Amino acid sequence: MPDDFATWQHIIFGYLHDIAIAVYFGGAVAMEFVLGPAQASIPPAQAQVMGQKTADRFLWLVWGSLALIFVTGVLRLARMEMLSWSWPFVEDPLVLSESYGRTLLAMVLLWCVLVVNGALITFVFRPRLAGKLTPGTGGAQLAAAQTAKIQAATWVQRLTRIDIGVTLLIALMGASLGWGGLI
Amino acid sequence: MDTLLAAVHAVSWAVYVGGAITMEWVLRYAQRTMPPSQVGVVCKNAGMRYRWFGLGSLAVIGATGAAMFLRIDEAELAARAGAPELSLGDPYGRTMLVLTIAWLALAATVLLMAFWLHPAQRKRSLPEMTQSDVARERQRVGQAIGRMDKALKFELVVSVAAIGVGASLNAGGLF
Repeated sequence: MPDDFATWQHIIFGYLHDIAIAVYFGGAVAMEFVLGPAQASIPPAQAQVMGQKTADRFLWLVWGSLALIFVTGVLRLARMEMLSWSWPFVEDPLVLSESYGRTLLAMVLLWCVLVVNGALITFVFRPRLAGKLTPGTGGAQLAAAQTAKIQAATWVQRLTRIDIGVTLLIALMGASLGWGGLI
Repeated sequence: MDTLLAAVHAVSWAVYVGGAITMEWVLRYAQRTMPPSQVGVVCKNAGMRYRWFGLGSLAVIGATGAAMFLRIDEAELAARAGAPELSLGDPYGRTMLVLTIAWLALAATVLLMAFWLHPAQRKRSLPEMTQSDVARERQRVGQAIGRMDKALKFELVVSVAAIGVGASLNAGGLF
């Protein structure tokens, strides 16, 4: 077992970073390709309740993972003495003239894409899916509400698949950092 | 090639462990609000699909792990911080051994679940069954569900611990 605090810090930050990425990516795959099809095997009304419950719970995992990925990523860079308190806040090899720096910048930008997609799902499309109809709603309003819900569900699915693709790219770039970067 | 192998290895672990955590944290929670008959249908469907994802991921983890092991350059390894060695006399080698044992335990558990524990949960119902037969069958299915639950918890704990053990390799190993 390591006997110094710095090594334990390195292991714990790495562990939390890896587990957060695993939860984000594995969770998205499980939601899309395991729970989604399983939901289709029960009656639609019950499937909708299940969909809401699973999505509400999964969004906690998503935001927790995204926050943990960022925090542990910054802590790992700080521990490796690649960050500084003065402009441009980074040290060699985290500069854009090095492949390591460019790859890491691309990973941060892709992480931002995941945050934007997460925000769109949480604050735009999920509320549309969860919207309830009030008594006395007319036929035209009902049809419009149904169309809006179908569109929102389609967008949630599209964004989830984009997230899976983006996370795959991040994993490839992250793995390349061990050999100096990809770009 | 090394980058690709490491990326595929990491993604397979992510699918396996992230899926297991999501099934436990999300599906188990959603089940509480569902009627028992539908819980059975959803669990059967999701369980079967996830088992194939799990088996596929573990197969890829094993294949890419073995390929990365064969490609380890001893000189490059020795140049890393702490100069780790690929022998049982060094924490790096012992940690690799523990990871291999964890992978074997996970593969055995998933195979057990796919080919024994999951089929054992199917309730047999025949017209000629007496009331005591039905009670016995119900008890047997209850026991099978209990065993499956224990296997799922074991799988979750070992897989989450394996990620930590794997993360320690960058720092020269844990044991």
